[in-house]
Amino acid sequence: MRLITHNMLQCHVKNCNDNNFPLRLEEVEVELVEADFQPEFLQNIIGKLEWPAFVNTAVQLGNTNLPATIPDNAKDNEEFLKVLHTALLETHVQQGKMVCPNCSHVYPIKDGIPNMLLAEHEI
Amino acid sequence: MPSYLVQFAQSHDEFRLPEFESLAVIENVNVKFNRDEYRLDRPFLKVEIESDEEAAKLVKRAILIKSIYELWGEGENLEELHASVRETSDRWPHYMGKSFKFSVTAFGSTIVAKKSLEMINSFSFLGFDGDIDMTNPQFQFSILVDFGSERSKYMKVGTFEAEKMYLGKLVTSGSRDLVNRYNLKKRNYLGTTSMDAELSLIMANQALAGPGKLVYDPFVGTGSFLFTCSHFGAYTLGSDIDGRQIRGKGKSSIKSNIAQYDLGDRVLDTLTFDICHNPWRIDNWLDAIVTDPPYGVRAGAKKLGRKENSKKQVSLRTYEGLPMHERDDYYPPTKPYEMSEVLMDLLEFSARQLRLGGRLVYWLPTIVDEYSNEDVPQHPCMKLISNSEQNFGAWSRRLITMQKVAEAHQGEHATIPVHHHSENDVTANRVEQQVRMREEESTEEAEQNKQQPGHYAFREKYFGVF
Ligand SMILES: C[S@@+](CC[C@H](N)C(=O)[O-])C[C@H]1O[C@@H](n2cnc3c(N)ncnc32)[C@H](O)[C@@H]1O
Ligand SMILES: [Zn+2]
Repeated sequence: MRLITHNMLQCHVKNCNDNNFPLRLEEVEVELVEADFQPEFLQNIIGKLEWPAFVNTAVQLGNTNLPATIPDNAKDNEEFLKVLHTALLETHVQQGKMVCPNCSHVYPIKDGIPNMLLAEHEI
Repeated sequence: MPSYLVQFAQSHDEFRLPEFESLAVIENVNVKFNRDEYRLDRPFLKVEIESDEEAAKLVKRAILIKSIYELWGEGENLEELHASVRETSDRWPHYMGKSFKFSVTAFGSTIVAKKSLEMINSFSFLGFDGDIDMTNPQFQFSILVDFGSERSKYMKVGTFEAEKMYLGKLVTSGSRDLVNRYNLKKRNYLGTTSMDAELSLIMANQALAGPGKLVYDPFVGTGSFLFTCSHFGAYTLGSDIDGRQIRGKGKSSIKSNIAQYDLGDRVLDTLTFDICHNPWRIDNWLDAIVTDPPYGVRAGAKKLGRKENSKKQVSLRTYEGLPMHERDDYYPPTKPYEMSEVLMDLLEFSARQLRLGGRLVYWLPTIVDEYSNEDVPQHPCMKLISNSEQNFGAWSRRLITMQKVAEAHQGEHATIPVHHHSENDVTANRVEQQVRMREEESTEEAEQNKQQPGHYAFREKYFGVF
């Protein structure tokens, strides 16, 4: 699971509607995998990110290169886009779990695949 | 604008024009043609485009177009063709001293080699003085002969004549070779419902998949659409209720397919969840949704929960101290997911999650005898772009392409239009009873009449689950 995906996920247990994002990463195994740099995609997706959550998650995983706020000239700032690229698209959580900060539901990640299924009593 | 001749592949006829029009949108090419001249049973369409460069852009990723030619002339016979080509003499000097090649291609019949050679030689008036190079010429010219599809008409009179002839200079060929590249027979990991390569590629074109875009498949299965959409440069995501589909077996999985096609840069992630209970926190973010929903033809449609009347507990269940749903091999209890519900959910999901202008491309199976165009599900925010049938006899599936044209608002719903089915349609009535039993528990649905869409009870009729 890449951090872009993590940034789009929230806990969806029935009636868990507050403080259910971002899911806390625990016991994770992280891998960096190089990917082609495509500024166009990054430019399109920046506006969709929850920035503070993204920065915090990256810091938790040991990446402290992201600025606290999105720079004004983000879309033409290649240096920034490259840092964003690495955190967003090249950082993979291969194993671990995501825990809801509100209801503590655990979503396991195995071989990079997050399991977001709910149990019967949660739907 | 100059004239060009599009040579379509003789495959998936109903999909050709929609693909062509999608390509014009993707590449932003200004193209004009007369719709009345387009024939499903013919390979050719005359169009107008600014330039060779624009024509090449338009066709380069086409699956259902073989080639595009700059049109040099046309006629109903060779004399007419000659006369029309003679009018292009201002173009000829450009080709002097350049290597070239001439060929003849016939449709609806064959032309013997001797006759082909005669035809080629009849164009010597062009006076091209460059080398003839059969393997790697600078320019290729084709004499394209269309014998038409109503052959019997000509057979009867005993003369078998062409209906139309063209001379064209080849501009470029489409991407039909991709059909071979993504051929299922060569794919590392397959499931019973993996989608045919040609159709998966066409779907990527319908979705306008390309660089900078994000495409999602909520019923991802073995990932067919991730590969074709990412091939064209899009970033892709997929999810499925059944993690076993994603993980595959041993060394074969979606992951191994990504490696096989070298698409790891752009196939972002695959996740396990039921689309009826999805964890996306966001809306207005997807450029396209490309999917083959579960209708029970092969992979049954289901959603989380238990069948009605089930006495089983719904509290937390554990196995060896671990909650059941956290186990790797966990497959949750599910209940049937009626096709109209699947469609309703898919359209409403798309209306919310697509950005404005984004596309939904999906398969709708229908029973041929009962189908009418009104059966195609609608949504106030979604405009129908195209509807192309692939026929299997008694049933067919239709590739539906829709575009989000308005922001979604609370309380707006998809409509699955209805028409009558007969009183003695036993299966449909029985299914309807079951659905009603379910509805009685919920809301107002008091007395619905016997109206149901042409895809209603599709699975039950064809695959007899009862
Ligand atoms: C027709 S298959 C799609 C096949 C896919 N296009 C491929 O290339 O392999 C439908 C898929 O939908 C999944 N499915 C069924 N019900 C679902 C639900 N409620 N939510 C998510 N996925 C579901 C099935 O597990 C199955 O993999
Ligand atoms: Zn929660």
